[in-house]
Amino acid sequence: MEQLEQLKDVWKKQGESEIKFSGEDIYNMLHKKSSSIVKWILIISILEFVLPNLIYLVTDHDASRRIYENYGLTNITMIYTAIHVVFICVFIYIFYKNYKNISAESSVKGLLFDILKTRKTVKYYIYYNLTIAAIIGVHIFYIVFSSEAFLENIPKDINLITIWLIALSLLAIAIFVFWIFYRILYGILLKKLNKNYDNLLKNEC
Amino acid sequence: MTKELERKFSQELEKNQSIIHKICRSYTNSEAAHKDLFQEITIQLWRAYPKFRGDSKFSTWMYRVAFNTAISLYRKSKRTVQTTPIYDNLKELQFQDYDETHDKQLDLLYKAIQSLNDIEKALALLYLEDKNYKEIALTLGISEVNARVKMNRTKTKLKNILNP
Repeated sequence: MEQLEQLKDVWKKQGESEIKFSGEDIYNMLHKKSSSIVKWILIISILEFVLPNLIYLVTDHDASRRIYENYGLTNITMIYTAIHVVFICVFIYIFYKNYKNISAESSVKGLLFDILKTRKTVKYYIYYNLTIAAIIGVHIFYIVFSSEAFLENIPKDINLITIWLIALSLLAIAIFVFWIFYRILYGILLKKLNKNYDNLLKNEC
Repeated sequence: MTKELERKFSQELEKNQSIIHKICRSYTNSEAAHKDLFQEITIQLWRAYPKFRGDSKFSTWMYRVAFNTAISLYRKSKRTVQTTPIYDNLKELQFQDYDETHDKQLDLLYKAIQSLNDIEKALALLYLEDKNYKEIALTLGISEVNARVKMNRTKTKLKNILNP
């Protein structure tokens, strides 16, 4: 290790950097846009909060209402919508609180932890969405498949169990595809941070 | 008032910029990426500046924000370091070869640092800047014991890279 001590001399004797900025250059930099990962996390997170709910905006509300009334889904959809709105508000509040805590003045570990915690809120939000989609899906299938309106129109040669299996398989595939897509996005965005956080905490007691 | 503060900050940073250049050179491998990271660090420092109360030295505060930017906030794939060609050059830096020019030694030292992971880079820089374990632990946010363990490993790794 003595040899490494010699490196300190090499280090200390280094002169000015070949790249150097004037006060004017630095002054101009203050007005440039940041390309910080936190900015991207905010943009992507907002999209993730908004996108799952966009489907509501493009829905034909009159047609949906007719279907709801036909199959007796009006009350149940209202209850689920109310629960969903409460959950969204709670998630956004936690996300905002965590996001405000992110500070470049924290210790390296503190900052990594705060960024990862902020992203975790979005991760749980996505998992919540997938879970509620599965619950609502199964519940609605149950109500529709037991309604008279449905049972009257079902072709005689098709078994109800087959319908259930097809419906559940399609729901499971849709949720799985969305989950894979999200894992990839989450992985790409946080790969470097997770790696650095693991490296930092290795051997910590 | 803001303009005045911007001028004051720019002047202060101009005087202390060598610290940031050391970090930029360690965490990037091209001039363009170096300048890009410098700019991001400057933006982050400026954002944090209103909260800087002078409890710590300006340079210590700068260190923390600059490391955080390089390790966590900066996101450009361009700065990925290609390590393979570096190792060939490093064979030239044997400790007995101290008749080599200082610039070449420094260049090879930087290349060795560049081949470390992000956390080890920070440890190597803090070691070369003669920071004590208390300060290293505080900057990284880990215990002093862990800082010592990590520092020993980083030093061994650096030594192995320099004496392949």
